[in-house]
Amino acid sequence: MLGQLFVKECKQTVRSLIYWAIVLVLIFDFSSQLGDMSIKTKPEPGQEEYGTKPSDDPDLIMKSTLGNLMEEYVRESYTTYPIGFYKSVTLNQEDDQRIGEILKETTGIADREAAEKVMEEWYAAQESENMDKGDSEGSDGSGMAPVYLKPLEAEPAEGLTYERFGELMDEADDILGGGSDYSKESRNKSARIPMTYEEALEEYDHLIEDDRLTGGYARLFSDYMVIFLGILPVFLAVTRGLRDRRAMMQELIYTRKCSSFTIMASRYLSMVAMLTLPVLVLSLIPLSKCLGYAKSAGIAVDMLAFVKYVLGWQVPTIMAVTAVGMFFTELTDTAAAVLVQGAWWFMAVFGGIGDLGGGSYGWNLVPRHNSALNWQGYHDGFEKLLSNRILYTVIALVLVALTALVYTQKRKGRLQLRGKIFANRKNKSEV
Amino acid sequence: MERYLQIEKINLKYNIPLHILISVLMLLASPLLLGVANLGAQDTAKVLEMYAALIGIVLLPPVFLPEQDHDIRDLVYTKYVNGALVYLVRILGNVLLLALLLGVYVGMLKYQGCEFPVIKYFFGTLAEMLFMGGLGLCFYGLCDNLVIGYMAPIVYYIAAMGSGQKLLKMFYPFSMMLGSYKEKGVLAWGAVALIGAGVWLRCRRKG
Amino acid sequence: MSTTIKIRNLNQYYGKKQALKDINLRIETGMFGLLGRNGAGKTTLMKVIATLLPVSEGEVSVCKRSTQHPQEVRKIVGYLPQDFSMYPNMTIYEAMDYLGVLSGLSKAERKQRIPALLERVNLQNDRRKKVKALSGGMKRRLGIAQAILHNPKVLIVDEPTAGLDPEERVRFRNLLCEIAEDRIVILSTHIVGDIEATCEDIAVLDEGSVIYQGTVTELLQMTEGKVFSAEISKRELELLKKDYIVTSMLTLGNNVMARFLADEKPFASAKLCDAGVEDAYMYLMHMERGGRGC
Repeated sequence: MLGQLFVKECKQTVRSLIYWAIVLVLIFDFSSQLGDMSIKTKPEPGQEEYGTKPSDDPDLIMKSTLGNLMEEYVRESYTTYPIGFYKSVTLNQEDDQRIGEILKETTGIADREAAEKVMEEWYAAQESENMDKGDSEGSDGSGMAPVYLKPLEAEPAEGLTYERFGELMDEADDILGGGSDYSKESRNKSARIPMTYEEALEEYDHLIEDDRLTGGYARLFSDYMVIFLGILPVFLAVTRGLRDRRAMMQELIYTRKCSSFTIMASRYLSMVAMLTLPVLVLSLIPLSKCLGYAKSAGIAVDMLAFVKYVLGWQVPTIMAVTAVGMFFTELTDTAAAVLVQGAWWFMAVFGGIGDLGGGSYGWNLVPRHNSALNWQGYHDGFEKLLSNRILYTVIALVLVALTALVYTQKRKGRLQLRGKIFANRKNKSEV
Repeated sequence: MERYLQIEKINLKYNIPLHILISVLMLLASPLLLGVANLGAQDTAKVLEMYAALIGIVLLPPVFLPEQDHDIRDLVYTKYVNGALVYLVRILGNVLLLALLLGVYVGMLKYQGCEFPVIKYFFGTLAEMLFMGGLGLCFYGLCDNLVIGYMAPIVYYIAAMGSGQKLLKMFYPFSMMLGSYKEKGVLAWGAVALIGAGVWLRCRRKG
Repeated sequence: MSTTIKIRNLNQYYGKKQALKDINLRIETGMFGLLGRNGAGKTTLMKVIATLLPVSEGEVSVCKRSTQHPQEVRKIVGYLPQDFSMYPNMTIYEAMDYLGVLSGLSKAERKQRIPALLERVNLQNDRRKKVKALSGGMKRRLGIAQAILHNPKVLIVDEPTAGLDPEERVRFRNLLCEIAEDRIVILSTHIVGDIEATCEDIAVLDEGSVIYQGTVTELLQMTEGKVFSAEISKRELELLKKDYIVTSMLTLGNNVMARFLADEKPFASAKLCDAGVEDAYMYLMHMERGGRGC
């Protein structure tokens, strides 16, 4: 019965306006972000620059992070981005005191006054350095050229271990409510250094050898698609859920022999399949580009990379979002799921905005990896990503099971929330 | 006049209390998620354009919802008062509500020490709200489907985030963040056109 | 297996409001009519039997299967609600096929049964028509076809003739009678004529209680000798209405031919008539409302 229903549901989906609207948006998403995708070429020696990368030198990280902490401590205002939006935090006396203690332990600077002095000296030195540069270069005398001041760096206190530094910074981040420059993710990116030719070459070699070209581009493809897939499926699920009521068909279906689980499972599976299909079709375009390049460059590509990434990276998101849509639609018989998923999407996308480069995927619904490169980051973060994707798959399946339970109750005349809330609506909205 | 007030009264009492509640909760929740105190002009614009403006999507598209059932729609359209007029009264009411909510919110930002041109930002954000809401209304009217009515402005919002000014040009919603205001006039006129088109499309349908 | 519906001490509540009061009914094979005013509880009772509402108090069993196990009951019950439709963009055949799958019919069964049923309800030439293009009568007929798709032992139809033209109504009633030959068909209506033409066993509901259960013949017997008609002036009609239940009237120039209920012949010009179900129903309602004779 499930198989036959699945086919019928797929046919219904193909005939629905909302499905084609979603497909159009996916095509638009793809072409606006990846329409003019070009394949990375091998770095040549002697190039002017090879990009930058975050340094993993503990000394550099400590210097720049502590400099930042000192400056914010002096200003008595801390910048955080808990969900990607700027949030300024001002601390109460107790917390302020604790940050002072942390600063003392890490830099040896006794109090705010001393810190202010260090800061002033740093910037004064910077300015005079700039001035010297300006004079020597023979400026036009307007003095309005933008000056670049290197952010404050602070020498770590003698004997401070990197481990202890990490502990204290984690504590500072906690005090600030998360999303500050002192969190582990931010710290590790705090000091950027230029890449050398060898490093750029190594990264490129990862793309060719480990990712066999297509892997890297499949990740980039997933990164762009998953943003829209974090919300679009909800529209399909809500429309499907409301269709029975709208067509006044609910009772005809309720009184059938078929189990609620089979009905819901067939709808769910068909929606997930029909949403995955256009993504797979779209993936043929970057795949063919990769193939074209690989042929001329003699690279042995992984033909199935895109399929693997669509199924492993994007489908869990499609599953979770579709399940949210189904669950809240059956529960409320309204479009409330759009609001719920909208809120979740907002938090996920803005929350993940600080970490686009890949590697730290966390528990984000829409894991980002906005680069064809950084195989190393992917490799290091793979376990986390895997558990992330498994978690959302499990959440999705649990939600579908709950939806089937809700549906069973509704068939028996229970849980008809809408009937109660909107009991008088029909009559009264007529005016 | 009394008739129009009555239409709006019914609207407030039965059709949109839930939507008002959601909008208020969204605005109230903002201090938990983002900074709303001591912001500079650019960060204030971000809060207004990328967050507060979203309530336009919550409050405008459902204007057509009470008559979703075709029988009710036929019944309303055969009444003495023109169906389009009922919608326009409701839309006007909801726009005033949006302006009120936004006004209070902008006042709160100012009170919390944010530095920004109040009047300019108020109208700029309102224009964006109405544009997004109007987009929803227009697609709702076109497809006779509330879900598509929500989807259109949300896709617009995401497209603005992803592809930005390059793609949307004069229809870019987050222009105040970049210090530009001229887009807001385009959005305001666009909103009027979209809302008008939405109502026309809705009333044209006899199916 | 016995084809009987047994309802014992059924009380049904919507919040604090009691919709059904202590209902006891036994329904056997054949047409069974549920008569009552709008809001009397007919739809509630039917929904309980169709497992669309949970039993608040009491017991309901359909062919020995308790409604506590909806899955079991749904296998043998077909239901046609008062207000219904189907996915508008599906064709008649597709809609039937979809519902057939939900009823657990195999592909072969559906292929065989759907055309036969469409022919039975006279829709065989419209199988490719979209649901949204159907007239009210066609939709009703499609409704019946879907309700008996899985050959249920019990068919429940709620106000099926509302909105049909007289010709359609007659055809529809005949169709139901045919179907009722080897199963239970429960038909609810507030149109007395439907019952008169189709049912032998009936129950009359009023404000959630069964105020009559038995055969149509017995119901008629209750009112025998109490139905009169008289030609009177329009002014006299007002007086008549005050004292008696007027069940119908026909204007004849300045006069009116009135049909009314009375315990005994009230005046000389009144003529005794044969009782109809409508007269009996009015009588019943009057008695239920605390009327003492007519």
